[in-house]
Amino acid sequence: MTTVERADEAVRPGDWLRERLSNALSEFTAAAALIVLFVALSFASPHFLTADNLFNIGAQTAVIAIIATAQTMVIITKGIDLSVGSVAALAGVVGAMTVRDLGFSVWTATLVAIVIGALAGLVNGLLVTAARIPPFIATLGMMSAARGLVFIITGAVGVYGLPESFQLLGNGEIAGIPFAIVLTGLVAIGIAFLLSQTQFGQYTYAMGSNLEAARRSGISVGRHLTTVYVIAGVLVGLGGMIAASRVNSGQPNYGIALELDVIAAAVIGGASLFGGQGRIIGTLIGAFLIALVRNGAVLLDISIHVQMVIVGLIIWAAVYFDQYRRRRLESRG
Amino acid sequence: MAHSIKTRRRPPARRRHAAALTVLVATTVLGACGGVEVRDGNDDQATEAADPSGDAPGPLELAVLPKAVGHEFWTTVRAGAECAAEQAGDVTVEWDGVTAETDVEGQVNLVQNFVTTQVDGIVYAATDSAALAPATQAALDAGIPVAMIDSGTEPQPDEVPLYATDNRAAAVEAANLLAEELGEGEHDVALIEFQPGSQTNTERVEGFTEGLAQHDNLTLVGQQPSHSDVNEARRVTEDILTANPDLAGIFAANEPSVLGAAQAVEAAGLSGEIVIIGWDAAPDEVAGLRSGQISALVVQNPFNMGYLGVTNMVNHLREGTPLESADTGVTFLTQENVDTDEAAAILEPSCDNPPVG
Repeated sequence: MTTVERADEAVRPGDWLRERLSNALSEFTAAAALIVLFVALSFASPHFLTADNLFNIGAQTAVIAIIATAQTMVIITKGIDLSVGSVAALAGVVGAMTVRDLGFSVWTATLVAIVIGALAGLVNGLLVTAARIPPFIATLGMMSAARGLVFIITGAVGVYGLPESFQLLGNGEIAGIPFAIVLTGLVAIGIAFLLSQTQFGQYTYAMGSNLEAARRSGISVGRHLTTVYVIAGVLVGLGGMIAASRVNSGQPNYGIALELDVIAAAVIGGASLFGGQGRIIGTLIGAFLIALVRNGAVLLDISIHVQMVIVGLIIWAAVYFDQYRRRRLESRG
Repeated sequence: MAHSIKTRRRPPARRRHAAALTVLVATTVLGACGGVEVRDGNDDQATEAADPSGDAPGPLELAVLPKAVGHEFWTTVRAGAECAAEQAGDVTVEWDGVTAETDVEGQVNLVQNFVTTQVDGIVYAATDSAALAPATQAALDAGIPVAMIDSGTEPQPDEVPLYATDNRAAAVEAANLLAEELGEGEHDVALIEFQPGSQTNTERVEGFTEGLAQHDNLTLVGQQPSHSDVNEARRVTEDILTANPDLAGIFAANEPSVLGAAQAVEAAGLSGEIVIIGWDAAPDEVAGLRSGQISALVVQNPFNMGYLGVTNMVNHLREGTPLESADTGVTFLTQENVDTDEAAAILEPSCDNPPVG
């Protein structure tokens, strides 16, 4: 909200401090839960705290973390993107077909997947800004349309028979570290920088806090909002390609209900669906918190049904503490 | 386009004066919905004579619904259904399905839509045995005969047949095969199931654990579902491998589960060391079998499910033949028999050489 005030040129020192404190606390709650779970699992399973397992968790979470980063950007603008799973699937199968049917390299395929994601983001963005369709509806339409496209172009059959090289993004390594983890790190740092250190980032928060104020303060709202959706689309395209690469095939059914996982990660990490709030570090913490629950449950052979209940409880707890803390801060202010 | 829900109304096929119009509509729709429609004048006469009710045979429109679109298995069911429709003549197959096997409610709605549009018969695979029972009953109440393929309902009315694999018996055999491949000594094994709650899943899980009980040297150390998602299957398998470094064997109970499990084993550098017994025969599964990544595949006959479902439904509608359940059979595919003619008919079923009968 600091940015809004800058945009509005109505900064009050108290607000600024409160906001900083609020963000830090929100991430602190989620981070504390993450650390507690991490320590508990280290004691509960002898296999948890091993390099292999930690790399596994990192690679398993890469796609969700990257797409959750995209979702966070959209949520900060007071939007929501329900189409991430479908668009990721579309990018993945098109990427796979680019290699299998057209014989291009995995790098070209990745570029194609990213362009597909960007185009979907552009359509989402234009629907929201130019056509004035609420983000929930605009991306709901894209969710259905993109999934339909996936089935049409694949004939509803997985894209198989890919060369070994296709596995580069999902299964490759750089200096012993899974490539997927490196990519997640680069994306997270890049977007965190974009949001916190640039004018573009300031505008993004400003639009989410108060769109009208942002518009009046001279921000070209339509263009910036569309750009946010395009950047989110780029990340979703990249994520879809990594997911396809991990299973060495383009799966038409990939990513169904993925939007719920990534929204959960963002919300646990402190992003507010009312806009103007959320940081990449928080979202990463949220994504890994969910990942740890799932990893731990399998290591301890706990049923999937219990895992789902636990994730639900975490979402409630995270948002409850967030609201509680916010009320406290506001009543003090 | 094949997956859109069609709500257009058709005239009842039995009415002779409407038949010509229906054919026209069916032919027009063909290009859009990818259905099969074959006209054969001689066939008309033959079936008319055989029709006990004396009604005109007329073209038939059958709704054929998989659990979900998007998997090799269901695409093969479709090929079998369309082959049967082509051979029967004058039968249109409306192929339509939800996009995820978990979308039980979506399938209930889909069945209801086909009841509303008054198709001549419904041939479908239930995503959930209990949830779809009322939908089947509603179709019967509306006078539309139903045949189940792959997965039935609970309860299943007497007049509704099931054309499916005997999943339980085949899964017992899969456990025996796993025991045979692993040989003497104590071994830890894991089970990757797919959709807890679905009848097919339950039968395979129960059959496998029943089979395991006959082999004291095998211990089930991990059991997780993939939700028919390859990425999910890979993730849970990786985690099971982490928790059980001595894991010797895996039984994965459907196509996405097998592919994900094989990917995880490959990524852990354990390919060939861990015995994987899989189910279904997607191209990458067969490739994995050939390369030694997968030891054996339990291969059902989805072509036969679609084929028997449509053939028997057509016979029922045109000749009043009672609908009776049948086992569609399985083949155990290994490196030894993967290149035989029998395997070829199952792996690449075509209407020229259908793996039926």
